[in-house]
Formats: sequence, C-alpha cells, structure tokens
Amino acid sequence: MDLSQYAELFLAESREHLSACNQLLLDWEKSPANLAPVGGLFRAVHTVKGMAATMGYARVTDLAHRAENLLDLLRRGGRTATDELLQLLFRARDALEQAVELSVVGREEEIDVAEVIADLEGAATQLGRGGVAAGDIDARPTLVAVPAPAVETPVAAGRLVQVTLRAEAPIKGGRALLVTKKAQALGPVYAVTPPESAFEADEFDGRFSFRIGGAAGAEEIERAVRAAGDVERVTVGGEERRAAPGAAGPPTVPPETKSRHIRVDLGRLDGLMDLIGELVTVRGRLNELAASARDPAIDDVAIQVSRLSRELQDEIIQARMTPVWQVFDRFPRLVRDLARELGKQVAFRVEGKEIELDRAILDELGDPLLHLLRNAVDHGVESPAERRRRGKKPEAEIVLAAVRERASVAISVRDDGRGIDRKRILERAQRDGIVDPHAEALSDDQLLRVLARPGFSTADAVTSVSGRGVGIDVAVTRIRALGGSIDVRSEEGKGTTFVMRLPVTLAIVRALIAGVGTERYALPLTYVAETVEFGVQATTIVEGREAIVLRDRVVPLVHLRRLLGVSGDAPTRCPIIVLEMGERRSGVVVDGMLGQQEIVVKGFDAPQGTLPVFSGATIMGDGVPTLILDAGGLV
Amino acid sequence: MSDAGVVRLLLFRVGRLLCAAEAERVREILPRLEPTRIPGAPPVVAGVVNVRGSLVTLVEGWRALRQPDPSGDGGAGVSGTTVLLEVGGGKKVLGFTVDEVVDLVSVAGESLDRRQALPGIDPTLVRAVGRRADQLFVVLDTDALLTPILSS
Repeated sequence: MDLSQYAELFLAESREHLSACNQLLLDWEKSPANLAPVGGLFRAVHTVKGMAATMGYARVTDLAHRAENLLDLLRRGGRTATDELLQLLFRARDALEQAVELSVVGREEEIDVAEVIADLEGAATQLGRGGVAAGDIDARPTLVAVPAPAVETPVAAGRLVQVTLRAEAPIKGGRALLVTKKAQALGPVYAVTPPESAFEADEFDGRFSFRIGGAAGAEEIERAVRAAGDVERVTVGGEERRAAPGAAGPPTVPPETKSRHIRVDLGRLDGLMDLIGELVTVRGRLNELAASARDPAIDDVAIQVSRLSRELQDEIIQARMTPVWQVFDRFPRLVRDLARELGKQVAFRVEGKEIELDRAILDELGDPLLHLLRNAVDHGVESPAERRRRGKKPEAEIVLAAVRERASVAISVRDDGRGIDRKRILERAQRDGIVDPHAEALSDDQLLRVLARPGFSTADAVTSVSGRGVGIDVAVTRIRALGGSIDVRSEEGKGTTFVMRLPVTLAIVRALIAGVGTERYALPLTYVAETVEFGVQATTIVEGREAIVLRDRVVPLVHLRRLLGVSGDAPTRCPIIVLEMGERRSGVVVDGMLGQQEIVVKGFDAPQGTLPVFSGATIMGDGVPTLILDAGGLV
Repeated sequence: MSDAGVVRLLLFRVGRLLCAAEAERVREILPRLEPTRIPGAPPVVAGVVNVRGSLVTLVEGWRALRQPDPSGDGGAGVSGTTVLLEVGGGKKVLGFTVDEVVDLVSVAGESLDRRQALPGIDPTLVRAVGRRADQLFVVLDTDALLTPILSS
C-alpha cells in the first residue's frame, strides 16, 4: 500500500499533537500537582504513535512508545512534576518532533534517539514498573491510530466485538459505520478500532473492533451486527475485566456529529484565490462595458455577476482565514526555554488567540515574532535580582496579543522590562552618523528607524539568543513587505511594546485610485483615514517637512508627483489622502481621485532601484497594470 | 548547452544584432505590450505588463543590448515583439522586447562557436556564436543579461 500520499497529513496532524504537547508540558510545569496535562500528553503521544505505526515509521513509533510508556506510569502513579522529569519530557517531545519531520522526508536513518530512549527507559524503571510496562503497552503497527481514553477506563470495559466485513463488500466504511450504529441500539459503543474517522480511508480493509457496554448477550449482539449486512464474521467476547491501556475509550461520538472540517491543501486555496482574482478583474471590465452599453438587460446581468462574485470572493477569503494561535502556539515553549537559558523568570501570556488572519500573512509572521520575543526575553526583561532591586516582582511579564482594528489586525509584543535605553541608542546612532549630532532626544519613531537598521545592536554582549543586531530589522522588513507597519513604544524602567499592524487579507482589498499626471496608483483603504483638499488647507513647515495641521495634529505631506518623478506641474487644488498607521500619519498629495474599487493584489518582480513604496500591483478593469502604494512606505 | 546534440534556438533581431535564445527558455512570444512605468527602476526596465492576468516585468531589449534607440532612428519602428523568457531556472519570467522574431532553428551543438568576443556586444552576455545564412548570431546568456536587473 502506498502511504506516501498520507505523509503530508501525518506531518500536519503530528505537528498539531506535538504542539499541544508543548502547551501541556508548560501547563504541567506551572501546576506540577495537576495530573490533567499528563493524561493529555499520553493521548497526544499515543495518537502520534498510532499514526506513525500505520505509516511504517518504526523509529517514531518506538520513541513515541517509550514516551507513552513513561507517561502512562506517571498518570497512573499520580506523580508530581519534577524539573528533571519535565526536562526529559520536553527533550522527548523535541526528539519526537524531529523524528517525525525526518521520517516524512525519507531521512529516517538520520534519526538518533538512542540517548533519549535510554533516558526514558531509565526514568520508567525508576518509577517502578519499567520493563514490565513496556511489554504491556505494545504498539499494534497494523492498526490505524487508536484514540486514547479521555477518561480513565472503567474496570468493566464491556464485551469486545470483532467484525470482519465481506471482502467484496462495497463502501466498507459506510457498512462499518452502520454496524456500530446497530450496536449502539444495544448499549454504549466505544473503543472503536480503527476509529470511525479512519473507516473512510482507502486502506480500511473491513476489519474492525469495538467494545459494547450494557446487558445484551453475545447472540443478541451478533444478530444486531449481522443485520447491518455484508458481515462475514463476528466474534463477541466475554466481559473484559481489564481494558488494554489505550484501547478503551468513552462512548463513541455518533457519526452525525463527526467533525465537519476537512483539510485542504493551501495551494488549492491559492488557486481559487487567483481565479476569483481574475473574475474580479473581468467583473470590472464587464461593469465598464455595461455602463457604456446603456442596456438595462446587460446592466441586470452585470449587477448579478458583481453580487455573486463578491459573495464568492468573501467565501474564499473566509476559507483562507486562520486563527493566530496556529502560529502563536509555539511561542510559550520558546519563551520558557529562552528564559531558562538566560536565568530569567518570565510569565508569558497570549491574548486574542482566536483573531483570524489570511493564511498567507500568518505564515510570514513566525519569524518577526520570534525575533521580537527573543529580544524581549534577552534585552527587554531584567534578571530576577535586578528586578528586585528596582522594586519589581522578580517574575517579568511578556504579553503577545492580537487585536482586531478596523480593516487591520494589530499584533503586539509587550514586556514590563527595563525599556530601551534611549540615551545609549542616541549616542550610538550619533556616533554612527545615523542621527543629527545635535539631536537631544529620540522620538519613538526615530528610535524604531535606528533599531531597524541592519546590524544595529547595543547589546553589551552577543548572546546565543540575540544581540547580533538582527531582529528588529528582519521584523520591520518582513512586516513592510506584507503591507503592514511596525511601531515601538518604550518607557525607561517600565517596558517596551512593539506593535505590528497588518491587513487582514493580502488578496483583495478596497483601494482608492489616485491619478498623478497620466499615471494611476492604487492606495488600499485599510490605512486611509480621510481626504482633505490641498490648496485650501494652510500648510506649514514642521521639522523641515511641509505639513498640514488637522484637528491639532501635524500631518507631514508627501507629494506623490515629486516622489515618483512624474513630470509636469500639479494642479493648484488637489486632494490630500490622509494615511494613518497607529500613531503615525501622513498626507499624500495626488492630482486627483479616480474612485474606489476592489483590487486584486498581485506580486511583481520589482527591478533593482524600484522605489520602496509599492506593496504590489494590480490589473485594472481596462487591463492596464497599476502599482499599489504601500501605506507603510509613505508614513 | 551540451556540446553534442541539437539545440533549438529562437532567433530575433534587436537593433543591428541578430540574437538567439535557447527555445526552452522561451515561454511565449507576444506582440508589443503597453507597460506601466515602475518609478525608480532603471531605464532598461520598460515597466510592468499584463500577460493574461499575470504581471511581468518588461525589459527593453535595445537598451539591455546597448543598441540605438529604435524610435529615434529615423522612425525605423518601435521594438515590435515581446519575448517571455524564463530566468533563473524557470523561477521567474521576464518580458524582453525585440524588433522582430526571425526564426526558430535547430542547430547541432558543435556547430556553435564558443568564442564570445564579437564587436558591439558585452562578452559576458554571450554564450556562443553561430552562423545562419552567412550571418553571425549571438546566443545570449539570458540569465547573465536579465538577473542583474531584477536582483535588488
């Protein structure tokens, strides 16, 4: 049986389980007496083991088996977490993750887990039952993942029913489901092996088993099972006194409440997005034609097409939305490890996990966040001793939070550490000639500009964690490339906050179309606050830049004509598009506004020298490419 | 390009030069497309064009190969054709304007001359020199020609 097509799925699901393991280990570390995380760990590792066995990844199976063995002893023994145990389990989890990744790419022979396995075995032996238990809980490599018990197995586990369907039976999965349904009429059915979710898999061969509770006799059960049809053989066992660990479970979920989620290859969603993008472009063209044809019948069709394609587009964008926890969930472990390594105490909190972002954006966020969190742990927060001296509690706090704002999402990394030493940064920046030598202070904005310079670092020592100066620049570049912005707020002694603002989706946005000379540019509405008129509004000079004052706030102006090198003179009265990104604002002076429309954001290969103010390009209804201005590059 | 075997080449004219590109690098041949200017890009980049919904950066052939401006040459005609070329092992596609596409030929690899020096063209852009009906043509190293324009 060729299982390679399942490798992706195995990888994705294993990653999920192993990510959950991280969280569970952290939970256990926080409250060592609470055994709930251990049960969860056991189930997660058990599932990975089952899947790995099906895939034929012997080393993953073996490692998972040893870890599971130890976890089983722990949950049965009601052990409190010790640091040593936690370290071992963290290591085992990491090793398992690596083993999974290597197996999937066919590099199983590179997996080296002898040491971890030896340590797991050692720990298990110490706990008393090592060798015996190992044989006890044997993997059944021919079976698909066995769901582990969610609650402790009852002593009397019901009768074991083993069923084999006729080899020639069509739709074996459906038939097997029918069998379990028939059996449910007699008593609770559980420990379905393989699980019902696997019935529909291609490799399901029509052999399965389950346990049934209740008082029904063997004959009655057999009759019910056979009534489902296409059953070749049924054996009904007696009442089992002791359930095999891991083989028993709660009553199965009735099939009708089975998960309604499916996994879809991201490439498919991208493909759909491209197609709807084309459709939106054609829709624009159709609307233009309809407008010039002045035929009510064509108008009607154009309106319908518009509505349908908009709905379709919303659905597809929705399908691409992914909650941020999918990226955030790996950070608690990371922060913990870093804090340990650096001898710091950190309480890490995640807020707004459920906020959703386009998958394409979310996938790009891991790195920038990693850098910001590293910085927070390494440079942001002080050592416990220093914190005590400053009258703070020894445990520092780092918060990673996502918040929805209008059409964008703000993601912040906040620490309550020492804050950025502006004086030192200023000195350093002046020495390097980045900042005017007479400047007396750095604003938050200037601070960010200095920090974002590649290679800039004031760290006393380069640590293994950060301090090489990479980090902020990586984050800034990446966020800007996504059409977002990044801001910093820092107060000495109180802490530092980095806020990234990102569009919810990259794919299709509403934009203002601005005219400059004979050229057109699109400006996404995400960051457009308002428009005012230039030539009516009085201008002033602030810090050497032309600006307007809008409701007591200074808004520096950017003349697009000059910036983009468009020849000719601007009209005397023209619109100013006011952009707002967090605290920063700027007014973009254009010749005229040509309207608003939905645009499909496309990438283009920017040649060298291209002004860094474009986030992509789009194709207008008339088929002409138009560049999209990046608000982040203009404010 | 291997010494043995047959190489398929697309021959085209840019200014006074008869050039060739390996046919397997040629994605498509299109009429002249109207580009949208990319502010800040060097003059050799005409802009970005719409190829059936995809955006392709367009390189002005005569500028890249340092040929006289065709529009200023007594109205000899603007570069009339766009050749879509794969760059960097097919990872990217660029448009390249040429005056006209001349022919698609199959030549034996050994009939191409490895010499690179040819008057009027930067030798680093030449992969080989061939001959067709008494006329010399240069097989362009399209990667060497186009990659530097993109890398920013």
